[in-house]
Amino acid sequence: MLSVENLHIRFRTGDGMVHAVNDVSFSVDTSSRMAVVGESGSGKSQIALAVMGLLAKNAEVDGRILWNGQDLLAASPREMNRIRAQEIGIIFQDPMSSLNPYMTIERQLTEIVEHHEGMSRRDARARALEVMDAVRIPDAKTRLRAYPHEFSGGMRQRIVIAMALMCRPSLILADEPTTALDVTVQAQIMQLLQDVQSDLGTSVVLITHDLGVVAGFCEDVLVLYGGRIMETARTDTLFDRPSHPYTRGLLRAVPNIEDPSDTLIAIPGSPPNQHRFPQACPFAPRCTDAVDTCRETLPQLRDGRACLRPIEELT
Amino acid sequence: MLNYTLRRLLMVIPTLLILVIFAFYLMRLAPGGPFTSERPLPPAVMANVLERYGMDEPLYVQLWTYIKNIICCFDFGPSFAQKDRTVNDVIAQGFPVTLTYGFWSAVFVLMLGVPLGIIAALRHNGFWDYTMTGLAIFSQIFPNFVLAPLLVLLFTLSWGLLPGGGWNGGQWQYIVMPAIALGTSYMASVARLTRGSMLEVLGSPYIRTARAKGLPERTIILRHALKPALLPTLTYMGPVFVYMITGSVFVDVFFSTGGIGQDFIDGAYSRDYSILLGLAILYAVLTFALTLAVDLLYAWIDPKVRAGLS
Repeated sequence: MLSVENLHIRFRTGDGMVHAVNDVSFSVDTSSRMAVVGESGSGKSQIALAVMGLLAKNAEVDGRILWNGQDLLAASPREMNRIRAQEIGIIFQDPMSSLNPYMTIERQLTEIVEHHEGMSRRDARARALEVMDAVRIPDAKTRLRAYPHEFSGGMRQRIVIAMALMCRPSLILADEPTTALDVTVQAQIMQLLQDVQSDLGTSVVLITHDLGVVAGFCEDVLVLYGGRIMETARTDTLFDRPSHPYTRGLLRAVPNIEDPSDTLIAIPGSPPNQHRFPQACPFAPRCTDAVDTCRETLPQLRDGRACLRPIEELT
Repeated sequence: MLNYTLRRLLMVIPTLLILVIFAFYLMRLAPGGPFTSERPLPPAVMANVLERYGMDEPLYVQLWTYIKNIICCFDFGPSFAQKDRTVNDVIAQGFPVTLTYGFWSAVFVLMLGVPLGIIAALRHNGFWDYTMTGLAIFSQIFPNFVLAPLLVLLFTLSWGLLPGGGWNGGQWQYIVMPAIALGTSYMASVARLTRGSMLEVLGSPYIRTARAKGLPERTIILRHALKPALLPTLTYMGPVFVYMITGSVFVDVFFSTGGIGQDFIDGAYSRDYSILLGLAILYAVLTFALTLAVDLLYAWIDPKVRAGLS
């Protein structure tokens, strides 16, 4: 359905090029749940924005993003507008700022179907009510007339999800949908996404830095570091037997609820400088298993990992 | 909302009272008076004149009479310097003039400034943006006492299109140049203000959300961005509008329009206490009205402000 091929995203900035995403390829099947995991600056959000055609003006993009065979990077603004919301929906990170504070919830929901499906105001309102029920906003009928500031953070994120669902798109990109929310609300929102996904058969690409969220929700995981794919695997496999040292580092940094005495091990060092296109493994400077070749050659993605010294070959 | 409006209107009364008392005493602190001249009047004549205008009484009695007359009969007293004219006459004659050209000047400011600012924001860092910003800065620093003669030079002397001054009952030909001369630098400020706030709004997350909905650019600008982008301009225009409809001394003098800007200056020169007080009250009332109007407009645009008011 969605196939990203050799995607490169660079930004022209005041102090030179920043290589945000380098040679990333992956595909998303119908009715699937995939996670893109990485720390801040790993380029994960930029991939979602590239798919929506919403990258900042100073971005340069290479590669192909095929949506049902059509290259979105070559699509006209008109075609792109047709695909947005109607075929691909997006949920942004911060529900506090991603809703228009000057418009009622109703208008922000109805305008989507009025525009894309030519619905009358009445039909659009009926659809909005339906979707508000689906995302479990109580008392939807009266709440439709409210403004964003009258809702709590969790409720606002439900409204953002409702927005993404208005046209029943076949793919939803969820860009850190729970990062800005309380832990208890996080669980509710993830449950909601899961229900919506299975009820509607929508595919979801979940972009997150939270491995706990991934474990409960996604079938496949893609681990990004420095704008490159480090490892991609089924979720179970990745959690049981991580193959890339970076993935192992990430997992070790997550607290274990069954064994609280377990010490957390942080990955030493800091994220890479992305002003130059990587010539060697971007993780090598922080990797405990790195040898000289790691610092000289750029490992290609093979068997789901981009590593010259995968863990299973060391042991 | 109604409650709020009423409360605000009630606040006008004590504030005006304080203003009148202060202005009344302050003016009299200044040396001289309406009847001092190079050749002093004979004491007997002076006493007569003072008695006629009630100025022989103690100050607090004069103040009390002044306030009483306003409250009971809406009478702002006689002019001290212009014989046989009351303050009411002077304002009734001059205010419609400044109100007219000031209003059209404000229309000119908004109708030109806002679209220019929006276009510049939409063409950010493009040719039109630079042209617009350059022109705006130029007209902002271009003083109206240079602009007005230039307008007269072109439109009156060279092309003979518009009369170079006068009012003639407020026919449109007589309004054009005063309105432009008064408004140009404000128009430039409004354009720059609108450009800046529009750019800020266009970069906000909720506009990104609107784009993600696949809405056409037109809808995004008009439905999602315009209202919030106009808020700073609205705040700015409140006091500026008061300034405009009460006229500018320069415009009244240069174009001989006969508005209250002229009266204010004449009043100040001749120590015409009643005219000055009357005009000060007029300015105060207008300022109140306009700030209230701006606040209500704000509430209309911003639901958060609206919620705070009720």
